[in-house]
Amino acid sequence: MNNKILGYIRENGKVGVRNHVLIIPVDDISNSAAIAVENIIHGTIAIPHHYGRLQFGRDLDLFFKTMIGTGSNPNVAAVIVVGIEPNWTNRIAQGIAETGKPVEAFYIEKNGELKTIEKMARSALKLVEYATGLKKEWVDFSELTISLKCGESDTTSGLASNRTVGRFVERFLEANGTVLFGETTELTGAEHIIAQRFKKEEDRNKFLKMFNDYQELIKEQGVDLLGSQPTEGNIAGGLSTIEEKALGNIQKIGNARIDSALDYCEQPVGKGLHFMNTSSAAAEAVTLFAATGAVIHLFPTGQGNIIGNPIEPVLKITANPKTVNYMSEHIDLDVSGLLKLDGTLDDYADKLWNKIVETANGKFVKAEILKHREFVLTKLFPSA
Amino acid sequence: MKEYRFLVHEEGDSVGVVTSDLKAGETIIGKNLEKDIEYEIKVLEEIPLGNKVALKDIKEGEEIIEYGEKIGVATKPIKKGERVHVHNIKSIRWGGKVNE
Repeated sequence: MNNKILGYIRENGKVGVRNHVLIIPVDDISNSAAIAVENIIHGTIAIPHHYGRLQFGRDLDLFFKTMIGTGSNPNVAAVIVVGIEPNWTNRIAQGIAETGKPVEAFYIEKNGELKTIEKMARSALKLVEYATGLKKEWVDFSELTISLKCGESDTTSGLASNRTVGRFVERFLEANGTVLFGETTELTGAEHIIAQRFKKEEDRNKFLKMFNDYQELIKEQGVDLLGSQPTEGNIAGGLSTIEEKALGNIQKIGNARIDSALDYCEQPVGKGLHFMNTSSAAAEAVTLFAATGAVIHLFPTGQGNIIGNPIEPVLKITANPKTVNYMSEHIDLDVSGLLKLDGTLDDYADKLWNKIVETANGKFVKAEILKHREFVLTKLFPSA
Repeated sequence: MKEYRFLVHEEGDSVGVVTSDLKAGETIIGKNLEKDIEYEIKVLEEIPLGNKVALKDIKEGEEIIEYGEKIGVATKPIKKGERVHVHNIKSIRWGGKVNE
Protein backbone atom coordinates (compact mmCIF):
# COMPACT_ATOMS: atom_id res chain seq x y z
CA MET A 1 0.00 0.00 0.00
CA ASN A 2 0.95 3.62 -0.50
CA ASN A 3 2.40 4.82 2.80
CA LYS A 4 3.44 8.36 1.87
CA ILE A 5 1.21 11.37 1.39
CA LEU A 6 1.78 15.02 0.53
CA GLY A 7 0.82 17.03 3.59
CA TYR A 8 1.42 20.35 5.30
CA ILE A 9 3.83 20.08 8.23
CA ARG A 10 2.73 22.80 10.65
CA GLU A 11 4.93 24.84 13.01
CA ASN A 12 4.27 22.37 15.87
CA GLY A 13 5.13 19.32 13.72
CA LYS A 14 1.52 18.17 13.23
CA VAL A 15 0.50 17.15 9.71
CA GLY A 16 -2.51 18.59 7.89
CA VAL A 17 -4.07 17.74 4.53
CA ARG A 18 -5.88 21.04 3.90
CA ASN A 19 -4.66 24.61 4.10
CA HIS A 20 -7.52 26.76 5.34
CA VAL A 21 -7.44 30.38 6.40
CA LEU A 22 -10.13 30.18 9.05
CA ILE A 23 -12.27 33.04 10.35
CA ILE A 24 -13.57 32.21 13.83
CA PRO A 25 -16.39 34.29 15.31
CA VAL A 26 -16.15 34.18 19.10
CA ASP A 27 -19.88 34.75 19.57
CA ASP A 28 -23.19 34.66 17.72
CA ILE A 29 -23.20 38.42 17.10
CA SER A 30 -19.82 38.31 15.32
CA ASN A 31 -21.01 35.82 12.70
CA SER A 32 -21.99 38.63 10.32
CA ALA A 33 -18.49 40.11 10.22
CA ALA A 34 -16.89 36.67 9.75
CA ILE A 35 -19.24 35.80 6.86
CA ALA A 36 -18.72 39.24 5.25
CA VAL A 37 -14.95 38.68 5.08
CA GLU A 38 -15.38 35.13 3.73
CA ASN A 39 -17.51 36.62 0.94
CA ILE A 40 -14.89 39.11 -0.25
CA ILE A 41 -11.61 37.27 0.39
CA HIS A 42 -10.97 34.15 -1.69
CA GLY A 43 -9.52 31.20 0.23
CA THR A 44 -11.11 31.95 3.60
CA ILE A 45 -13.75 29.95 5.49
CA ALA A 46 -15.94 31.40 8.26
CA ILE A 47 -17.45 29.10 10.89
CA PRO A 48 -20.62 30.78 12.17
CA HIS A 49 -22.29 29.26 15.26
CA HIS A 50 -24.95 30.14 17.82
CA TYR A 51 -23.09 30.47 21.11
CA GLY A 52 -20.22 32.22 22.89
CA ARG A 53 -22.23 34.46 25.22
CA LEU A 54 -22.98 33.90 28.92
CA GLN A 55 -21.70 30.33 29.02
CA PHE A 56 -20.06 29.26 32.29
CA GLY A 57 -18.33 26.42 34.14
CA ARG A 58 -17.69 23.15 32.27
CA ASP A 59 -19.80 24.34 29.38
CA LEU A 60 -17.62 27.43 28.92
CA ASP A 61 -14.44 25.34 29.23
CA LEU A 62 -15.66 23.05 26.46
CA PHE A 63 -16.52 26.11 24.35
CA PHE A 64 -12.96 27.44 24.62
CA LYS A 65 -11.44 23.99 24.01
CA THR A 66 -13.57 23.57 20.88
CA MET A 67 -12.77 27.01 19.44
CA ILE A 68 -9.04 26.83 20.27
CA GLY A 69 -8.88 23.20 19.07
CA THR A 70 -10.56 24.06 15.78
CA GLY A 71 -8.12 26.89 15.09
CA SER A 72 -5.21 24.68 16.14
CA ASN A 73 -6.18 21.82 13.77
CA PRO A 74 -3.30 21.11 11.35
CA ASN A 75 -5.68 21.50 8.37
CA VAL A 76 -5.71 25.21 9.26
CA ALA A 77 -2.80 27.40 8.07
CA ALA A 78 -3.76 30.72 9.66
CA VAL A 79 -6.62 32.16 11.71
CA ILE A 80 -8.58 35.36 12.19
CA VAL A 81 -10.57 35.56 15.42
CA VAL A 82 -13.34 38.14 15.72
CA GLY A 83 -15.45 38.86 18.79
CA ILE A 84 -17.56 41.59 20.29
CA GLU A 85 -15.06 42.28 23.09
CA PRO A 86 -11.30 41.74 23.58
CA ASN A 87 -11.18 39.39 26.58
CA TRP A 88 -12.62 36.10 25.24
CA THR A 89 -11.38 36.98 21.73
CA ASN A 90 -7.79 37.21 22.94
CA ARG A 91 -8.14 34.05 25.01
CA ILE A 92 -9.06 32.07 21.88
CA ALA A 93 -6.44 33.79 19.69
CA GLN A 94 -3.68 33.18 22.25
CA GLY A 95 -4.68 29.52 22.65
CA ILE A 96 -4.38 28.97 18.90
CA ALA A 97 -1.14 31.00 18.66
CA GLU A 98 0.57 28.42 20.91
CA THR A 99 0.73 26.15 17.85
CA GLY A 100 3.01 28.74 16.22
CA LYS A 101 0.66 29.49 13.33
CA PRO A 102 -0.27 33.11 12.41
CA VAL A 103 -3.34 34.33 14.33
CA GLU A 104 -4.90 37.81 14.34
CA ALA A 105 -7.65 39.05 16.64
CA PHE A 106 -10.27 41.78 16.07
CA TYR A 107 -12.95 43.32 18.31
CA ILE A 108 -16.13 44.99 17.19
CA GLU A 109 -16.79 47.10 20.32
CA LYS A 110 -15.52 50.69 19.99
CA ASN A 111 -14.88 50.04 16.24
CA GLY A 112 -18.23 49.12 14.75
CA GLU A 113 -18.77 46.24 12.37
CA LEU A 114 -17.87 47.96 9.08
CA LYS A 115 -14.47 49.23 10.21
CA THR A 116 -13.76 45.79 11.73
CA ILE A 117 -14.65 44.05 8.48
CA GLU A 118 -12.20 46.26 6.58
CA LYS A 119 -9.38 45.53 9.04
CA MET A 120 -10.16 41.78 8.98
CA ALA A 121 -10.30 41.71 5.17
CA ARG A 122 -6.90 43.41 4.85
CA SER A 123 -5.46 40.91 7.34
CA ALA A 124 -7.15 37.95 5.57
CA LEU A 125 -5.66 39.03 2.24
CA LYS A 126 -2.14 38.79 3.68
CA LEU A 127 -2.87 35.48 5.42
CA VAL A 128 -4.17 33.91 2.19
CA GLU A 129 -1.00 35.05 0.38
CA TYR A 130 1.02 33.44 3.18
CA ALA A 131 -1.00 30.19 3.25
CA THR A 132 -1.04 29.63 -0.51
CA GLY A 133 2.73 30.07 -0.56
CA LEU A 134 3.24 27.10 1.78
CA LYS A 135 4.61 23.93 0.16
CA LYS A 136 3.37 20.40 0.72
CA GLU A 137 5.91 17.79 1.77
CA TRP A 138 6.08 13.99 1.64
CA VAL A 139 5.22 12.54 5.03
CA ASP A 140 4.28 9.15 6.37
CA PHE A 141 0.55 8.36 6.08
CA SER A 142 0.58 7.33 9.75
CA GLU A 143 1.23 10.95 10.80
CA LEU A 144 -2.46 11.65 10.17
CA THR A 145 -5.19 11.57 12.80
CA ILE A 146 -8.36 10.01 11.41
CA SER A 147 -11.79 10.19 13.06
CA LEU A 148 -14.77 7.81 12.79
CA LYS A 149 -18.51 8.35 13.09
CA CYS A 150 -21.32 6.78 11.10
CA GLY A 151 -24.79 8.19 10.45
CA GLU A 152 -28.20 7.34 9.00
CA SER A 153 -26.98 3.82 9.58
CA ASP A 154 -28.86 0.74 8.51
CA THR A 155 -28.13 -2.96 8.58
CA THR A 156 -25.83 -2.62 5.55
CA SER A 157 -23.53 -0.49 7.77
CA GLY A 158 -22.93 -3.36 10.19
CA LEU A 159 -22.61 -5.86 7.33
CA ALA A 160 -20.23 -3.95 5.10
CA SER A 161 -19.39 -0.22 5.30
CA ASN A 162 -18.54 -0.17 9.03
CA ARG A 163 -16.67 -3.45 8.66
CA THR A 164 -14.62 -2.00 5.79
CA VAL A 165 -13.69 0.93 8.04
CA GLY A 166 -12.90 -1.55 10.83
CA ARG A 167 -10.48 -3.51 8.68
CA PHE A 168 -8.84 -0.26 7.53
CA VAL A 169 -8.53 0.88 11.19
CA GLU A 170 -6.81 -2.39 12.19
CA ARG A 171 -4.22 -1.86 9.45
CA PHE A 172 -3.80 1.89 10.01
CA LEU A 173 -3.10 1.21 13.71
CA GLU A 174 -0.55 -1.47 12.76
CA ALA A 175 1.11 1.24 10.65
CA ASN A 176 1.26 3.42 13.81
CA GLY A 177 -1.57 5.82 12.93
CA THR A 178 -3.93 7.69 15.26
CA VAL A 179 -7.72 7.14 15.28
CA LEU A 180 -10.51 8.83 17.28
CA PHE A 181 -14.00 7.38 17.76
CA GLY A 182 -16.88 8.16 20.15
CA GLU A 183 -20.71 8.21 20.03
CA THR A 184 -21.25 7.45 23.71
CA THR A 185 -25.01 6.80 23.58
CA GLU A 186 -24.81 4.73 20.41
CA LEU A 187 -22.71 2.15 22.23
CA THR A 188 -25.73 1.16 24.35
CA GLY A 189 -25.98 -2.63 24.15
CA ALA A 190 -22.36 -3.01 23.02
CA GLU A 191 -20.66 -1.05 25.83
CA HIS A 192 -19.48 -4.32 27.43
CA ILE A 193 -17.53 -5.16 24.26
CA ILE A 194 -15.94 -1.69 24.09
CA ALA A 195 -15.11 -1.82 27.82
CA GLN A 196 -13.20 -5.11 27.31
CA ARG A 197 -11.07 -3.55 24.58
CA PHE A 198 -9.32 -0.92 26.74
CA LYS A 199 -5.67 -1.74 27.31
CA LYS A 200 -5.64 -0.09 30.74
CA GLU A 201 -8.03 -0.53 33.67
CA GLU A 202 -8.10 3.23 34.45
CA ASP A 203 -9.31 4.00 30.92
CA ARG A 204 -11.94 1.26 31.12
CA ASN A 205 -13.27 2.80 34.34
CA LYS A 206 -13.17 6.31 32.88
CA PHE A 207 -15.11 5.09 29.83
CA LEU A 208 -17.72 3.31 31.96
CA LYS A 209 -18.18 6.41 34.11
CA MET A 210 -18.79 8.60 31.04
CA PHE A 211 -21.16 5.98 29.61
CA ASN A 212 -23.08 5.54 32.88
CA ASP A 213 -23.27 9.30 33.55
CA TYR A 214 -25.12 9.70 30.27
CA GLN A 215 -27.46 6.81 31.04
CA GLU A 216 -28.23 8.54 34.39
CA LEU A 217 -28.91 11.84 32.60
CA ILE A 218 -31.48 10.04 30.43
CA LYS A 219 -33.10 8.42 33.49
CA GLU A 220 -33.20 11.77 35.36
CA GLN A 221 -35.38 13.08 32.55
CA GLY A 222 -37.77 10.21 33.28
CA VAL A 223 -37.47 8.87 29.72
CA ASP A 224 -35.58 6.42 27.57
CA LEU A 225 -34.28 7.10 24.07
CA LEU A 226 -36.90 5.04 22.27
CA GLY A 227 -38.13 7.28 19.47
CA SER A 228 -34.69 8.92 19.17
CA GLN A 229 -32.61 5.74 19.08
CA PRO A 230 -32.82 4.10 16.63
CA THR A 231 -33.83 7.11 14.50
CA GLU A 232 -36.63 7.00 11.92
CA GLY A 233 -33.93 6.70 9.22
CA ASN A 234 -32.32 3.77 11.02
CA ILE A 235 -35.67 1.97 11.33
CA ALA A 236 -36.47 2.57 7.65
CA GLY A 237 -33.14 0.90 6.92
CA GLY A 238 -34.00 -2.19 8.96
CA LEU A 239 -32.38 -1.45 12.33
CA SER A 240 -34.83 -2.52 15.06
CA THR A 241 -33.21 -1.75 18.43
CA ILE A 242 -30.44 0.33 20.02
CA GLU A 243 -28.56 -2.90 20.76
CA GLU A 244 -28.51 -3.85 17.07
CA LYS A 245 -27.47 -0.34 16.08
CA ALA A 246 -24.62 -0.35 18.64
CA LEU A 247 -23.32 -3.77 17.56
CA GLY A 248 -23.21 -2.49 13.96
CA ASN A 249 -21.61 0.77 15.09
CA ILE A 250 -18.64 -0.88 16.84
CA GLN A 251 -17.67 -2.76 13.67
CA LYS A 252 -15.91 0.51 12.76
CA ILE A 253 -12.98 -0.30 15.07
CA GLY A 254 -12.63 -3.88 13.86
CA ASN A 255 -10.89 -6.02 16.47
CA ALA A 256 -8.60 -3.21 17.60
CA ARG A 257 -7.78 -2.53 21.24
CA ILE A 258 -8.23 0.94 22.70
CA ASP A 259 -5.36 3.05 24.03
CA SER A 260 -7.27 5.64 26.02
CA ALA A 261 -10.61 7.12 27.06
CA LEU A 262 -10.89 10.89 26.55
CA ASP A 263 -13.54 13.36 27.66
CA TYR A 264 -14.87 15.99 25.20
CA CYS A 265 -11.98 17.60 23.28
CA GLU A 266 -9.30 16.08 25.55
CA GLN A 267 -6.07 15.68 23.58
CA PRO A 268 -4.85 12.08 23.16
CA VAL A 269 -1.41 11.28 24.50
CA GLY A 270 0.45 9.26 21.89
CA LYS A 271 -0.79 7.49 18.78
CA GLY A 272 -3.20 4.56 18.59
CA LEU A 273 -6.96 4.24 19.01
CA HIS A 274 -8.76 6.61 21.39
CA PHE A 275 -12.37 6.70 22.53
CA MET A 276 -13.71 10.23 23.03
CA ASN A 277 -16.94 11.10 24.81
CA THR A 278 -19.21 12.66 22.15
CA SER A 279 -22.83 13.06 21.25
CA SER A 280 -24.04 10.68 18.56
CA ALA A 281 -25.39 13.61 16.52
CA ALA A 282 -23.15 13.65 13.45
CA ALA A 283 -22.25 17.34 13.21
CA GLU A 284 -21.60 17.69 16.96
CA ALA A 285 -19.35 14.63 17.00
CA VAL A 286 -17.36 15.54 13.86
CA THR A 287 -16.91 19.13 15.17
CA LEU A 288 -15.43 17.70 18.41
CA PHE A 289 -13.14 15.30 16.51
CA ALA A 290 -11.85 18.12 14.28
CA ALA A 291 -11.28 20.27 17.39
CA THR A 292 -9.23 17.40 18.85
CA GLY A 293 -6.92 17.32 15.82
CA ALA A 294 -8.49 14.86 13.35
CA VAL A 295 -7.65 15.78 9.73
CA ILE A 296 -9.76 13.25 7.78
CA HIS A 297 -13.10 11.83 8.86
CA LEU A 298 -14.48 8.45 7.73
CA PHE A 299 -18.26 8.47 7.64
CA PRO A 300 -20.01 5.20 6.76
CA THR A 301 -23.70 5.68 6.02
CA GLY A 302 -26.61 3.40 5.18
CA GLN A 303 -29.61 5.53 4.25
CA GLY A 304 -27.42 8.52 3.31
CA ASN A 305 -26.35 11.18 5.81
CA ILE A 306 -24.98 14.23 3.93
CA ILE A 307 -22.86 15.91 6.64
CA GLY A 308 -19.61 17.80 6.05
CA ASN A 309 -17.26 19.87 8.20
CA PRO A 310 -15.57 23.23 7.47
CA ILE A 311 -12.00 22.04 8.10
CA GLU A 312 -12.01 18.23 8.03
CA PRO A 313 -12.85 16.35 4.79
CA VAL A 314 -15.75 13.97 5.60
CA LEU A 315 -15.42 10.88 3.39
CA LYS A 316 -18.67 8.93 2.87
CA ILE A 317 -18.78 5.19 2.45
CA THR A 318 -21.94 3.21 1.82
CA ALA A 319 -22.84 -0.41 1.17
CA ASN A 320 -26.51 0.27 0.44
CA PRO A 321 -27.01 -0.07 -3.33
CA LYS A 322 -30.18 2.06 -3.18
CA THR A 323 -28.27 4.91 -1.52
CA VAL A 324 -25.49 4.63 -4.11
CA ASN A 325 -28.19 5.01 -6.74
CA TYR A 326 -30.30 7.80 -5.22
CA MET A 327 -27.57 9.84 -3.49
CA SER A 328 -24.48 9.43 -5.68
CA GLU A 329 -23.46 13.09 -5.25
CA HIS A 330 -22.78 12.39 -1.56
CA ILE A 331 -21.00 9.04 -1.75
CA ASP A 332 -17.19 8.83 -2.09
CA LEU A 333 -16.81 5.05 -1.87
CA ASP A 334 -19.31 2.37 -2.86
CA VAL A 335 -18.74 -0.92 -1.02
CA SER A 336 -22.13 -2.46 -1.91
CA GLY A 337 -20.32 -5.30 -3.70
CA LEU A 338 -19.59 -6.72 -0.26
CA LEU A 339 -23.30 -7.47 0.22
CA LYS A 340 -23.04 -9.88 -2.71
CA LEU A 341 -19.73 -11.21 -1.35
CA ASP A 342 -18.15 -9.88 -4.54
CA GLY A 343 -14.56 -9.47 -3.25
CA THR A 344 -13.16 -9.77 0.26
CA LEU A 345 -13.19 -7.34 3.17
CA ASP A 346 -9.45 -6.83 2.58
CA ASP A 347 -10.13 -5.81 -1.04
CA TYR A 348 -12.53 -3.12 0.13
CA ALA A 349 -10.21 -1.96 2.91
CA ASP A 350 -7.53 -1.51 0.18
CA LYS A 351 -9.94 0.65 -1.80
CA LEU A 352 -10.64 2.75 1.28
CA TRP A 353 -6.92 3.09 2.03
CA ASN A 354 -6.31 4.40 -1.50
CA LYS A 355 -9.28 6.75 -1.27
CA ILE A 356 -7.94 8.26 1.97
CA VAL A 357 -4.48 8.72 0.43
CA GLU A 358 -6.07 10.49 -2.57
CA THR A 359 -8.07 12.71 -0.20
CA ALA A 360 -4.98 13.47 1.86
CA ASN A 361 -3.10 14.42 -1.30
CA GLY A 362 -5.72 17.06 -2.08
CA LYS A 363 -8.59 15.50 -4.01
CA PHE A 364 -11.85 16.91 -2.64
CA VAL A 365 -14.47 14.62 -1.11
CA LYS A 366 -18.09 15.13 -2.16
CA ALA A 367 -19.01 17.00 1.05
CA GLU A 368 -16.28 19.59 0.32
CA ILE A 369 -17.43 20.05 -3.29
CA LEU A 370 -21.02 20.49 -2.06
CA LYS A 371 -19.80 23.06 0.54
CA HIS A 372 -21.20 21.06 3.45
CA ARG A 373 -19.62 22.89 6.40
CA GLU A 374 -21.63 21.92 9.47
CA PHE A 375 -19.90 23.38 12.53
CA VAL A 376 -21.98 22.53 15.61
CA LEU A 377 -20.89 23.17 19.18
CA THR A 378 -21.71 20.67 21.93
CA LYS A 379 -23.62 22.43 24.70
CA LEU A 380 -23.47 20.76 28.15
CA PHE A 381 -26.18 22.86 29.83
CA PRO A 382 -28.15 26.12 29.35
CA SER A 383 -26.36 29.47 29.29
CA ALA A 384 -26.71 31.90 32.20
CA MET B 1 -21.12 -17.60 -8.22
CA LYS B 2 -24.18 -18.35 -6.10
CA GLU B 3 -26.65 -15.59 -5.51
CA TYR B 4 -26.87 -15.07 -1.76
CA ARG B 5 -29.95 -13.05 -0.75
CA PHE B 6 -29.15 -12.68 2.95
CA LEU B 7 -26.09 -12.70 5.22
CA VAL B 8 -25.60 -13.95 8.78
CA HIS B 9 -23.11 -12.31 11.16
CA GLU B 10 -22.36 -15.21 13.53
CA GLU B 11 -23.07 -18.91 13.80
CA GLY B 12 -26.07 -19.33 16.12
CA ASP B 13 -27.74 -16.01 15.17
CA SER B 14 -31.54 -16.24 15.03
CA VAL B 15 -31.80 -13.68 12.21
CA GLY B 16 -30.15 -12.99 8.87
CA VAL B 17 -29.90 -9.59 7.13
CA VAL B 18 -31.63 -9.44 3.76
CA THR B 19 -29.41 -7.99 1.01
CA SER B 20 -32.01 -7.64 -1.76
CA ASP B 21 -35.80 -7.14 -1.74
CA LEU B 22 -37.58 -10.48 -1.15
CA LYS B 23 -41.07 -11.65 -2.16
CA ALA B 24 -43.33 -14.07 -0.31
CA GLY B 25 -42.92 -17.67 -1.43
CA GLU B 26 -39.34 -17.41 -2.71
CA THR B 27 -36.85 -20.01 -1.52
CA ILE B 28 -33.49 -18.33 -1.08
CA ILE B 29 -30.01 -19.08 0.16
CA GLY B 30 -27.84 -17.05 2.51
CA LYS B 31 -24.32 -17.27 3.86
CA ASN B 32 -22.42 -16.72 7.06
CA LEU B 33 -20.16 -13.64 6.75
CA GLU B 34 -16.99 -15.29 7.98
CA LYS B 35 -17.55 -19.05 7.88
CA ASP B 36 -18.42 -21.47 5.11
CA ILE B 37 -21.99 -22.04 6.30
CA GLU B 38 -25.00 -21.76 3.99
CA TYR B 39 -28.66 -21.40 4.93
CA GLU B 40 -31.84 -22.06 2.93
CA ILE B 41 -35.10 -20.31 3.80
CA LYS B 42 -38.60 -20.22 2.38
CA VAL B 43 -39.67 -16.56 2.60
CA LEU B 44 -43.17 -16.17 4.11
CA GLU B 45 -43.76 -12.47 3.42
CA GLU B 46 -42.32 -9.51 1.53
CA ILE B 47 -39.03 -8.40 3.17
CA PRO B 48 -37.18 -5.29 1.92
CA LEU B 49 -33.39 -5.00 1.65
CA GLY B 50 -31.82 -4.32 5.05
CA ASN B 51 -34.62 -5.92 7.08
CA LYS B 52 -34.07 -9.19 8.90
CA VAL B 53 -35.44 -12.66 8.24
CA ALA B 54 -36.01 -15.23 11.02
CA LEU B 55 -33.73 -18.24 10.60
CA LYS B 56 -35.84 -20.34 13.02
CA ASP B 57 -39.20 -20.31 14.79
CA ILE B 58 -38.98 -17.83 17.69
CA LYS B 59 -41.31 -17.78 20.74
CA GLU B 60 -42.77 -14.66 22.33
CA GLY B 61 -40.36 -13.47 25.05
CA GLU B 62 -37.37 -15.21 23.42
CA GLU B 63 -34.13 -13.26 22.91
CA ILE B 64 -33.17 -12.33 19.35
CA ILE B 65 -29.51 -13.04 18.58
CA GLU B 66 -27.48 -11.18 15.94
CA TYR B 67 -23.67 -10.64 15.91
CA GLY B 68 -23.71 -13.48 18.48
CA GLU B 69 -25.25 -10.95 20.95
CA LYS B 70 -28.73 -10.09 22.25
CA ILE B 71 -30.29 -7.36 20.11
CA GLY B 72 -33.82 -7.53 21.58
CA VAL B 73 -36.73 -9.76 22.50
CA ALA B 74 -39.67 -11.11 20.46
CA THR B 75 -42.96 -9.36 21.35
CA LYS B 76 -44.96 -12.05 19.51
CA PRO B 77 -44.22 -15.48 18.03
CA ILE B 78 -42.16 -15.28 14.80
CA LYS B 79 -42.03 -18.09 12.23
CA LYS B 80 -38.92 -19.10 10.31
CA GLY B 81 -38.99 -17.07 7.05
CA GLU B 82 -40.93 -14.11 8.50
CA ARG B 83 -39.73 -10.53 8.63
CA VAL B 84 -38.13 -9.47 11.96
CA HIS B 85 -38.36 -5.77 12.77
CA VAL B 86 -39.91 -3.22 15.18
CA HIS B 87 -43.38 -4.76 14.78
CA ASN B 88 -42.29 -8.02 16.45
CA ILE B 89 -39.12 -7.30 18.47
CA LYS B 90 -38.18 -4.73 21.12
CA SER B 91 -34.99 -3.45 22.79
CA ILE B 92 -34.25 -5.32 26.05
CA ARG B 93 -32.34 -2.31 27.34
CA TRP B 94 -35.35 -0.07 26.91
CA GLY B 95 -38.36 -2.00 28.08
CA GLY B 96 -38.42 -5.40 26.34
CA LYS B 97 -39.29 -8.29 28.71
CA VAL B 98 -37.49 -11.61 28.33
CA ASN B 99 -39.21 -14.84 29.49
CA GLU B 100 -37.01 -16.67 31.95
